[in-house]
Amino acid sequence: MSTQVLLSVRGLRKRYGGRTGVQANDGIDLDVAPGQVVGLLGHNGAGKTTLVHQVVGLVRPDAGTITLDGVDAVAHPEVARRRASIQAQANVPITGLTPRRAIELVGRIRGGDRATVRRRTEDLLDALDLGAWADTRAEKVSGGVARLTSFAMTAVQPGALVVLDEPTNDVDPVRRRLLWQQIRGLADAGHAVLLVTHNVREAERVVDHLAVLDHGVVLAADTPAGLTASLRGALTLEVDLPHDGPITWHPAVRPVAAGRLRATGTVPAADAPAVVAWAQAEVDAGRLERYALTPASLEDVYVRLVGDERVTEEVPA
Amino acid sequence: MTAVQQGVRADARESISQTLLLAQWQFRRQAQFLPLMVVVQAFMAVATVVGYGLLVGDPDPVTALYLATGAPTITLITIGLVLTPQLLSQSRTEGSLDWLRTLPVPRTAFLVSDLLVWTLLALPGMVLGVLVGVWRFDVDLSPAPWLVPATLLVSLTAASVGYAMASLLPPALAQLLTQALVFVVLLFSPVSYPAERMPAWLQDVHAWLPIEPMAQLVRTGLASEAFTLPTRSLVVLLVWCVASVVGAVLALRRRA
Repeated sequence: MSTQVLLSVRGLRKRYGGRTGVQANDGIDLDVAPGQVVGLLGHNGAGKTTLVHQVVGLVRPDAGTITLDGVDAVAHPEVARRRASIQAQANVPITGLTPRRAIELVGRIRGGDRATVRRRTEDLLDALDLGAWADTRAEKVSGGVARLTSFAMTAVQPGALVVLDEPTNDVDPVRRRLLWQQIRGLADAGHAVLLVTHNVREAERVVDHLAVLDHGVVLAADTPAGLTASLRGALTLEVDLPHDGPITWHPAVRPVAAGRLRATGTVPAADAPAVVAWAQAEVDAGRLERYALTPASLEDVYVRLVGDERVTEEVPA
Repeated sequence: MTAVQQGVRADARESISQTLLLAQWQFRRQAQFLPLMVVVQAFMAVATVVGYGLLVGDPDPVTALYLATGAPTITLITIGLVLTPQLLSQSRTEGSLDWLRTLPVPRTAFLVSDLLVWTLLALPGMVLGVLVGVWRFDVDLSPAPWLVPATLLVSLTAASVGYAMASLLPPALAQLLTQALVFVVLLFSPVSYPAERMPAWLQDVHAWLPIEPMAQLVRTGLASEAFTLPTRSLVVLLVWCVASVVGAVLALRRRA
């Protein structure tokens, strides 16, 4: 992996709406290198979109620096826009256009020549299996196809930095895999990819590096393996409950999260046999619907970092 | 040619090509409704001529000339002041403006490309309005050679004022305000009738607004033998044009 950095964010702060407003970014540090996919994980409202908008000069930071390809992006937003291509969180409305036409037009607006853009559009449509919808008017395509089109509009003539905000939303499982291949391909071609998502599970398999964002602050940044290291030798227990209400765990289980009719906890590998025996007995007694034991995941780390109010409410210390 | 000059030329070429591509984007996105918009615009231009004719009865030659030459101005102003802000508000609400602004395109290109689309759109209605006026009132026109650049100036000013308004005001307020402006332009502006018919205070107000100079410019451009353009009007219009273009570009550059 390269040690040089393409995007470097330091101490970024942004507050909306004055003193009583929202502190969207509260001192963010973040680096993305060429050839890297960096995942930016966070809840809705964690400050992800605000960060992206500051990189391309739609929002002015209150404090902090953004350096993109050696250029001060806050002072020279027009240079930053040239070096970054953005897929927005919401689909870009392209009614009146077809996916192919929209992708080609954006490629050429971004400065690609006609022949190259046409070829690259065809390749992307093929790679994402969009051929059947390529020439259909946008008002007749599904949300998933619109999402993939919006990805292709970003990737057709990509900048040195490619920012993808929730690229897999609404995309079916088969095309989702094709999409992940394309995202990995962008990094392999030397682009720096910043992947903004709250889909922790999927991101885990693609990203080289991760930053967890919450309330405008980066809580942790490391490789997926580095982040899960603390949970090595632990397993995740997931249970479905037959009724809504608190669950009484086996003493070896450390609770992680609880939602409606579902709860998860971590189990030290050594205690797994005892916990499985307990869980099976609970199922037989009708106190559990179902249980599953899986390797500890990034999602567990994420939830532990970000916290879940319900866990603290429902689980006595 | 020096390397710097070559660089500047390449930049200019790229900006022009980006502007045309953006115009193509906007044009194609509206393609479904374009025929309807052209029809509505043409209808409006014709209605201004014929409808005012009904109000006035059998007009004398001067009134007739005002009616026939006022219609194209009304078309240009309503497109710029009403349609442009409405579509800009729409693209702000649906979120496409924010994304378009992430593209590496000079901010002025957004204004110019929109202007191009709306001017093209206004053209059929304008021409039809003039033709209907000539036919209905049997007036003689004497178009000046500078008529085309004059219409572009009017179109640019109207669209920039509309653009600045839609960028700076909340979408709902901008929409309401533009609706109200239609009435001001249609009834309370010296476009299709001489300014002397208005109360003195309204004449004073219009001396500083861009509407009367727009009407005078188009009127003189169409009937250059019957009217002359006061220099003051041209100055007022140019000041409005520069101020509104600067305002619109600043609004596009603004960062939250």
